Amino acid sequence: MNGRPRIGVYICHCGVNIAHTVDVQEVTDFAAGLPDVAVARNYSYMCSDPGQALITEDIKELGLNRVVVASCSPRMHELTFRKALAGAGLNPYYLEMANIREQCSWVHEDRSIATSKAKKLVASAISKSRMLEALEVKEVDVEPAALIIGAGISGIQTALDIADAGFKVYLVEKSPTVGGHMAQLDKTFPTLDCSACILTPKMVDVGNHPNIELYTYSQVEEISGYVGNFDVKVRRKSRYVDMAKCTGCGDCAEACRMAGRISNEFDEGMGMRGAIYLPFPQAVPAKYTIDKEKCLFLSKGKCGESPKCAEACQPGAVNFDIEDEIIEFKVGTIVVASGFDVFDATLKPEYGYGVYDNVVTALEFERLVSASGPTGGKITMLERGKKKKKKKEGEEEVPPRMPESITFIQCVGSRDKSVGNEYCSRVCCMYTAKQAHLAKDKIPGVDVSVFYMDVRAFGKGFEEFYDRVRREGVNYIRGNPSEIFKRGDKLVVKAEDTLTATPLEHETDMVVLAVGLTPRSDRREIIDMLKLSQSPDLFYLEAHPKLRPVDTATDGIYLAGCCQAPKDIPDAVAQAKGAASAAMIPMASGKVKVEAQTSIVNEAACRGCGFCVEICPFSAIELVEVNQMGWMREVARVNEALCKGCGACAAGCLSGAIQQRSFKDTQILPQIIVLGVNE
Amino acid sequence: MVEQLIDTDKLKKIAEEVISREDVRLLIGYRKGTFGFRMRPAFVEEVSEVGELEFTPACVNNLATYLTNYERPPLPRGTTNDTRKVAVMVKGCDSRALLQQMVELAYKRDDVIILGIPCNGVIDPAKVDKRFPEAKGPGDVKREGDNFTFSADGKTETVPAAEVIADKCTRCRYPTPLVYDELLAPEVERFADDTYEDIAGLEKRGSDEKWAYWEEKFSRCVRCYGCRNVCPMCYCDECVLDRLSPQWMRRSVDISENTAYHISRAYHLAGRCIQCGECQRVCPMDIPIMEMNRKFYKDVAEFYEYEPGTDAEEKPLLSIFSVDDKEDFIL
Repeated sequence: MNGRPRIGVYICHCGVNIAHTVDVQEVTDFAAGLPDVAVARNYSYMCSDPGQALITEDIKELGLNRVVVASCSPRMHELTFRKALAGAGLNPYYLEMANIREQCSWVHEDRSIATSKAKKLVASAISKSRMLEALEVKEVDVEPAALIIGAGISGIQTALDIADAGFKVYLVEKSPTVGGHMAQLDKTFPTLDCSACILTPKMVDVGNHPNIELYTYSQVEEISGYVGNFDVKVRRKSRYVDMAKCTGCGDCAEACRMAGRISNEFDEGMGMRGAIYLPFPQAVPAKYTIDKEKCLFLSKGKCGESPKCAEACQPGAVNFDIEDEIIEFKVGTIVVASGFDVFDATLKPEYGYGVYDNVVTALEFERLVSASGPTGGKITMLERGKKKKKKKEGEEEVPPRMPESITFIQCVGSRDKSVGNEYCSRVCCMYTAKQAHLAKDKIPGVDVSVFYMDVRAFGKGFEEFYDRVRREGVNYIRGNPSEIFKRGDKLVVKAEDTLTATPLEHETDMVVLAVGLTPRSDRREIIDMLKLSQSPDLFYLEAHPKLRPVDTATDGIYLAGCCQAPKDIPDAVAQAKGAASAAMIPMASGKVKVEAQTSIVNEAACRGCGFCVEICPFSAIELVEVNQMGWMREVARVNEALCKGCGACAAGCLSGAIQQRSFKDTQILPQIIVLGVNE
Repeated sequence: MVEQLIDTDKLKKIAEEVISREDVRLLIGYRKGTFGFRMRPAFVEEVSEVGELEFTPACVNNLATYLTNYERPPLPRGTTNDTRKVAVMVKGCDSRALLQQMVELAYKRDDVIILGIPCNGVIDPAKVDKRFPEAKGPGDVKREGDNFTFSADGKTETVPAAEVIADKCTRCRYPTPLVYDELLAPEVERFADDTYEDIAGLEKRGSDEKWAYWEEKFSRCVRCYGCRNVCPMCYCDECVLDRLSPQWMRRSVDISENTAYHISRAYHLAGRCIQCGECQRVCPMDIPIMEMNRKFYKDVAEFYEYEPGTDAEEKPLLSIFSVDDKEDFIL
């Protein structure tokens, strides 16, 4: 306590937001009459410079030692007013806010009721303010290094930006190569740049950058600590290939007994690889990996006389004794860029994906169009699951025919409550337009139709591109197909043209499903490690949808790319650059402030039950043994650097032994009592 | 045929072995009471005290309470508390208190020796007192088939079990202790199930009716705190309701403060109460405390498929969260 409370009360009009519904003058007069209130004023915008000046001048001239601001939610302007208090030499935690906007003027219509409620809220805040305590804001040093999880285009861009700024970057990627989904794409909308041409230089850069430690085929196993000081444990899975010796020549892959017998993930299962493989020619690092499950030697213990890959490898890089390696390091900030999964089209059984060979997903179509794909960029009819007939002597190989008509279906797994995805995946309209264009380009005279609900061409150059594609003769039909079935050689798309209200059956050779982007199926791994939240669509949740789109609720952890929500490449890159910049702020300043409104334990009252330890989402509480007058007992102790002041522990403590500063029972109870008393 | 289960000689022999051990400081069991048919807790520290130990269907007390509720006076400088093991006799229902106490880290499994008593039902002392208002005792109670035999003051009388058995025993699902080091008799198979019939009426009442019902019950409370003190799960060093700053509840005995007390008590036991029924047993004002506890118990079981005091490895209910948790009760 800094002497008898001298409270200043400031009531904001918020333009008309509050003043329209609440009689601010009446509230001011009421507050002025309450005990310990030295001054009560109202002003049109308390958060403005002159508004804040009212407070700072009163603190100096009237010797205020408590300030109550009745305005909007503390989430909006608590920091603003805390700074004002600090600027006037008063501890910022002597501020209490009464929310008379979101919780009063905005939700009431009757002026007299709203005014009376505002009075109560103000009286309640005044009552609490008497019990406030000065808190000390501590600072901790920041490790000048960042961890990036995921090396798709978002992770790559984040890593490059941070590394270029001179900070150390640890880039961890689950698969054997960097590049992510963008590496699988052929051309990019709306400019039709070759995806590989713009991506591979960046892939090479992350592989070579002196400030980037690249861990591919690796997984983050454990993260502890807090902003500025995260301890990270990464498991580097064994490739059974000595990275230092492998030259990437590919002799091993040719020699592998399984060569051409395992479906290649990179080609969405349409191409073939061996048990030792490079995902695609431009992979970074250009080092081979042995697929443990598929390798005969590793899974069955026997590969002929001896493993052929090891025999073929001139530098002797193949080594079956290499084990997983655990790497530990410290970082100051973390960027999650873990990406997305494409929607599983089998969840829409009416479209016959997995039943009919030539119902393909858009990502499969992307590989068909790509020059590096399984067909060398030729769009051909598919015969899946059939083994190639051995060529008879002298027989000419019949090249597979090209489809005469291709039909695209949009919004597969997006904007669809029946599969639980209400959101728009944002990229499908445009990639469909692009793929329709590529089909027209590659197959002369092909008939291309698109079934759509709405076309969302919102980005730079999108509408122009969509217009161009339609002028190229792509037939857009507004309607959501109900079924796909086979009639003779043809696939039949059953739909209704909703513009003319005509039911139709549309015959086609190939159907491309514009599958949406979904949250990754393994998203829980990262959620559990970093305590991230999810939005209702199950993508990772940002701290604020508008003003903090790359931050998370946890300081020092940021989001980039499609792990937060579906995005196209420019948006993903923009967010990556934003996340990089956000992650560099603490590193550049070298110090971060830690939460002052932390929890504290009254050890004498603690019964050591550990509820708080389990409840704490930040692992900030542990049980320690203490000697209490000869009795050895375990009691809870809070690591104040880790505590984020969420108060969950205090709510869960049965004996009231753990309390959150600024929200102690002794502070809240007077607040509640005022609210409970009827006039 | 339901029979007397515990062989007293065997009990004494085991107790003697246990208390003779160097790493055991105390054995908590039952001995004859001083009046009527009551049994009372026995705190055995010496082999010489073993002779008074006994187990009869009158052993209703849940002795788990004494593992957590004890005074901790300051010890002489430089000395620390005796950390040797405590042995305790528990029935099936009581054993769940031990499990829940361990879930809440009150002590470790190694700190206790659990002498498990498979049990086929105990008497309800209140019912017995009504049946034998004149009995001075100390008397003896035995189970014989479907009857209890009461002998005191030179008289013996046989009463059908159903008339005097404790209510909780008629819905007992765990007659054999869920945790023990030594079982003092062969396991008893489950003979009953819990259908929550006793609280069906309470659940049907509207909120006004409920208030009226509880107002009448709470208005009787004399705030002796017996229900809190006997509860094996109420063992905070300083009960939050005793605190003066902040003072959540005033000392006065009136309907407002009594209600605050009972509601807080019930809430603090949500997801923790193991249904031993001791609170209601000790209430001198016949407040049906278990109705609140059982409503919570039922809700916890239905909403979260969680049953406190059945698994020492389980996390406390209120400290765990799953995204699949039922939340349709949230407005």
